[in-house]
Amino acid sequence: MTGAGEPTVIEVAGLTRRFGRFTAVDHVDFSVRRGEIFGYLGANGAGKSTTIRMLCGLLAPTEGDAVVAGFRVSTEPERIKRRIGYMSQRFSLYPDLRVRHNLEFFGGAYGLWGRHLAGRIDEVLARVGLQDLDDSVTHALPGGIRQRVALAAAILHQPDIVFLDEPTAGVDPVARRNFWSLIRTLSEAGTTIFVTTHYMDEAEYCNRVGLMVAGRLAALDTPAALKARHVPGRVWMIRGPSLGRPEARQRLAALPGAIQVQTMGAGLRLRLSADSPVDADTIRRALATVVDQPVEVEADEATLEDVFLAVVDADAWRRGTAIARGEGPP
Amino acid sequence: MSRRLPDSLVRVGALAAKEALHIRRDPRTLYLGLFLPLIMLLLFGFGVSFDIDHIPLAVADQDRTAESRALLQDFVAAHEFELKGALPDPDRATRIMAAHRATAVLVIPPGYAEALARGDTATVALLLDASDPHSAQQSLARADVMAQVATARVAAASGLLAGGGDGLPLSARTWTRFNPAGRSALYLVPGVTAYVLALVAVLLTSLAVAREWERGSMEQLFATPVGRLEIVVGKLLPYLAMGVVQVLLVMTAGAWVFGLPFRGSLWLLSLASVLFMLGMLGQGLLISVIARNQMVATQASMLSAMLPSMLLSGFMFPIENMPGILQFISHIVPARYYIAILRGVLLKGNGLAELHTELLLLGIFAVVMVAVSTARFKRKLA
Ligand SMILES: Nc1ncnc2c1ncn2[C@@H]1O[C@H](COP(=O)(O)OP(=O)(O)OP(=O)(O)O)[C@@H](O)[C@H]1O
Ligand SMILES: [Mg+2]
Repeated sequence: MTGAGEPTVIEVAGLTRRFGRFTAVDHVDFSVRRGEIFGYLGANGAGKSTTIRMLCGLLAPTEGDAVVAGFRVSTEPERIKRRIGYMSQRFSLYPDLRVRHNLEFFGGAYGLWGRHLAGRIDEVLARVGLQDLDDSVTHALPGGIRQRVALAAAILHQPDIVFLDEPTAGVDPVARRNFWSLIRTLSEAGTTIFVTTHYMDEAEYCNRVGLMVAGRLAALDTPAALKARHVPGRVWMIRGPSLGRPEARQRLAALPGAIQVQTMGAGLRLRLSADSPVDADTIRRALATVVDQPVEVEADEATLEDVFLAVVDADAWRRGTAIARGEGPP
Repeated sequence: MSRRLPDSLVRVGALAAKEALHIRRDPRTLYLGLFLPLIMLLLFGFGVSFDIDHIPLAVADQDRTAESRALLQDFVAAHEFELKGALPDPDRATRIMAAHRATAVLVIPPGYAEALARGDTATVALLLDASDPHSAQQSLARADVMAQVATARVAAASGLLAGGGDGLPLSARTWTRFNPAGRSALYLVPGVTAYVLALVAVLLTSLAVAREWERGSMEQLFATPVGRLEIVVGKLLPYLAMGVVQVLLVMTAGAWVFGLPFRGSLWLLSLASVLFMLGMLGQGLLISVIARNQMVATQASMLSAMLPSMLLSGFMFPIENMPGILQFISHIVPARYYIAILRGVLLKGNGLAELHTELLLLGIFAVVMVAVSTARFKRKLA
């Protein structure tokens, strides 16, 4: 579900949080529609968790406000809590308790009990594919499984919106992919997902991605639109032996319209501006004198990582000039 | 509103059940809660006995008469003093005591029998090793009794005082009025109970709550609709139940092993126990709300609960003998009132009439602690 035409379930306006003189979240605006998978991408300390905490009613905004599931975070945080599920970055479940006991506890915390609760536990365990695990002690489970149990705990009470703060941190790639397919299933059933991550590849699964840089929302759009806007032009992947020589990189960087040359495994990745006249043949000719054998050149796609780096660079550049003018960072 | 009450019960129940599971899965908690009280009781009851008998005694008898030997006999007859040897000369007394061969030396000077015969005051000296002031004090009290016994015997024998027994000062008897054999095990059970409850209640709750802060699970809890009073009640209930089990355990063991009597009202005792525990649980909660860290919580519990409950409550040392400032501080140590109530109910059969002040003070402490800690327990992060 892309969320287009669906009602808005999160509406954020000028949301700001300061800790002393430090601004962790700086006048952030966005809205999320029902059923959307909304990704929040950012470096360490960018303010992702702080934003989530404010949206979950755990932290009061210093300035601005947000409406989540129909209630204001500044005035009705307690009513929001009944309608949302939250998987915090640090904690997932009590390690000393069994899976079922963990789920019974969180169900109880949301007011579920008795046969209804037991039925819901069976349902969510089946949904995350762990119906046989309810008797295991939680700390004995691998990280990826634990995160799935934590997701099960967060959806026990059938929340409208689920906030997931770096749910796949430190989890192996296969488990990450499984986790994301669970997220997709949830969103298809109409649950809105707000998820933060460090992993750029995961952001590709999101309907829309917000990029946080130093407390500000520096870019926000669908992955395709972000790439078109921030990484225009083309990307070429060049493979072959002896590309590790410094001259090879230098030749590529000297091509007209070259923006960036990256080492990718044994190959090189070349990013060109939209108006660059360079094509595959130009690249082969440029390299002909520095490599021993012909190279393989093929068109590649821009990634969100390219977008992220471009946005961070642009932001750093803007701040740099601001500091030079003596204003300091906003 | 009618839908809120059951919801709230469900949430408190879920919290209490979860806490009970943590307790069950943590051998340390069970050890602290159930075995420590018994071990303490036995340790204090048998090992570190406050009763003093068989006090090692040396004698320097310079009179060497039938009367002087009779006096010595009075001292050792009741086995409270045990004769370890005779010294040729009283100057050796210090050395004997320094070598821990005796803690008391009875010196009977020459002319003791003659003085008695003349009807004069006969003076004997008792030298005491007071490096342990507590035993010295007890030895002195016993020697006093012995001297009175001897005086009575001598007086009766010489016909100076008819019916000597009546002449014994009453104070010698009142000293052991509620504890006739001077058995301090009986006196100690209330102290052990209060100490163990304070320890378990303050330490375990402060650890249980601090652990949630440390792990980050408190944040997860705050994201649910659980209210702060619900968290407080849900957390404290299992430990309150554990405290009830502890009281029963220590009382039963006290009755069984040391013949602890139960002279007063069970209801009064239960009420006092619950009030005392609530106060201690509230104190543990307050510590963890402020500390948010298990190590600091442990140290703060030690300082604020365990030490006062042991040292300033009348458990180990009589409050009347403390320096003024400590006596003053002891007024805000709830264990003091709880121990007073336990001793009153168990040993003297006191009722509400005698103990209502202590009960009221325990109640005030409990209400203040739970209220302050709940108020400080902010459901916001930073
Ligand atoms: N309670 C607090 N008091 C003071 N500073 C805080 C507090 N919480 C967060 N910060 C600061 O705010 C900034 C943003 O923190 P936040 O946790 O939101 O970052 P994040 O994007 O989630 O980072 P990460 O990827 O490391 O989780 C950080 O510099 C952090 O040190
Ligand atoms: Mg974070």
